[in-house]
Amino acid sequence: MPSPEIILTIVKVALMIGGLMTAAAYFVLLERRVAAWTQDRIGPNRVGMPLTNWRLWGLGQPLADGVKFITKEEYTPAHVDKPLFILAPISILVAALAVFAAVPVGSYLPVPESWGLGDKVDLVVAPHMDVGMLYVFALSSVAVYGVVLGGWASNNKYSFIGGLRSSAQLVAYELPLGLGILGVVLAAGSLDLEEIIRAQVRDGVWYAFAQPLGFIVFGVAAFAEAGRLPFDLPECEQELVGGYHTEYSSLKLLLFLVAEFLHMILASFLIVILFFGGWSLPFGLTGAADAEQLSLAMGIFRLLVMSGKVFLVIVFFMLARWSWPRFRYDQLMALALKVMLPLGILNLVSLAVFYELRANITGGGGWGYEMLQLLACWVVCGAAWLAVAYARPLVADNRPRRDINSYRIDSQV
Amino acid sequence: MESHLLPILIFMGGAAALAVGLLVVGGLLGPRRNSAAKEMPYESGMDPIHDARRRFDVRFHLVAIAFLIFDVELLFLYPWAVASRQAEGIDAAVGDAQRMSAAVGLGDGFQIGFSRGLVFVEVMVFIGLLTVGLIYAWRKGVLQWR
Repeated sequence: MPSPEIILTIVKVALMIGGLMTAAAYFVLLERRVAAWTQDRIGPNRVGMPLTNWRLWGLGQPLADGVKFITKEEYTPAHVDKPLFILAPISILVAALAVFAAVPVGSYLPVPESWGLGDKVDLVVAPHMDVGMLYVFALSSVAVYGVVLGGWASNNKYSFIGGLRSSAQLVAYELPLGLGILGVVLAAGSLDLEEIIRAQVRDGVWYAFAQPLGFIVFGVAAFAEAGRLPFDLPECEQELVGGYHTEYSSLKLLLFLVAEFLHMILASFLIVILFFGGWSLPFGLTGAADAEQLSLAMGIFRLLVMSGKVFLVIVFFMLARWSWPRFRYDQLMALALKVMLPLGILNLVSLAVFYELRANITGGGGWGYEMLQLLACWVVCGAAWLAVAYARPLVADNRPRRDINSYRIDSQV
Repeated sequence: MESHLLPILIFMGGAAALAVGLLVVGGLLGPRRNSAAKEMPYESGMDPIHDARRRFDVRFHLVAIAFLIFDVELLFLYPWAVASRQAEGIDAAVGDAQRMSAAVGLGDGFQIGFSRGLVFVEVMVFIGLLTVGLIYAWRKGVLQWR
């Protein structure tokens, strides 16, 4: 008989994987409905309950898609590097799922003592992980391997270019992502995601408002890491016919597509946890940060608040997809390395200075200093915006120069 | 439950089982129909003229190197960010150093040269070096895509 903790962990893992796979499937439907709504179409609303006439607003669509994917030919082309070709989708999906081991989906729920689990159950697979943020950061970087492996193993020019572009994009945006996280870590004084949420409740302000510049840097980088428009250069349906997964079909393609949606869900979770206070609502509606015992209703309410916030961020992701054209590749890289990276460093340095000053004031400076710091962060954000608007690093003249022999320039670089 | 490794391992095992299981199920259920056209790499209907693995722009390599340098430097900042805001972090270490210098009997007013301010200045120098590296790469044209 395994211990109750082991059983609890297995139940949590099963719920998490099942929930995430279902969520990914239904977000595909939601994405199509949002796309249709944006473009003034109806979207998929036909497939409902099998064997009846119930349409149920198209809720059967993900099931039908799944069945279709499974009954397609599981085909591996002869010109590919077979082990790597199969390893790529598996690795990208395992990494995309395993990240969620450290991501809390709520606060905790009270349980009876007789279950042998203590008096509460944390709503996260690996609770109280002191390096939670590092774990998430590390595993989300593994996505690069899946993309590179897929692009390289396919032995197809579209895949190859897509894989190259994608790897460069993912590694370039990892830097601003890390800098944005550093600002939050500095403010919360912990790498534990649950502790970061509690720190926001204690501070009484969500970090999206306390460090707006960090939020912008992190948000843009999270969009790019998720590979969503306007940063979907890896995919580029129109130019690269799918990029690194051009040669993939049936379930191997499904693994890639699900992993992509999981990346988006992860990005939404991180944005909510790091910058929008996780399960908390303003005015103390969700209770104190360090409440020792929650009622069951409050535990469920926190879970719902967090899910609602994540849902809103995902809808924002989907609306952004249909509102923005794709970046050109040089603009994309310039945005990462010439705009977001310096802004991230500026954000980190300004926050470090503010907190260092605060540490040198006895008692932390109190409420007045906190307001002053908030104001200063917004001033830094505004100044950074003006500086970027003035310097315009994204504007590059790409017209061919008639007065210079382009062959000579190429040989110089 | 103090061990974090076990839940993570169980989670990874479950995820891997799901991925492999899906591929196996798909392989069992799907049809098998092969054709010469299917064997070719897909290039929008054109016959491919050579292998896809050719030489590519060196810039991808430069970006990868720049990433390695900056990302490793960033990782060094995480412990500092946590320690500088926690009671048992830098402040405790500074207190220990001061107590130690008093215990060894280095005399009044003499302290081992270690204070909160020094740590802060060192971290700022570290970030400054990172910035200098960025400026160098920028001026060298590493970040310029044409």
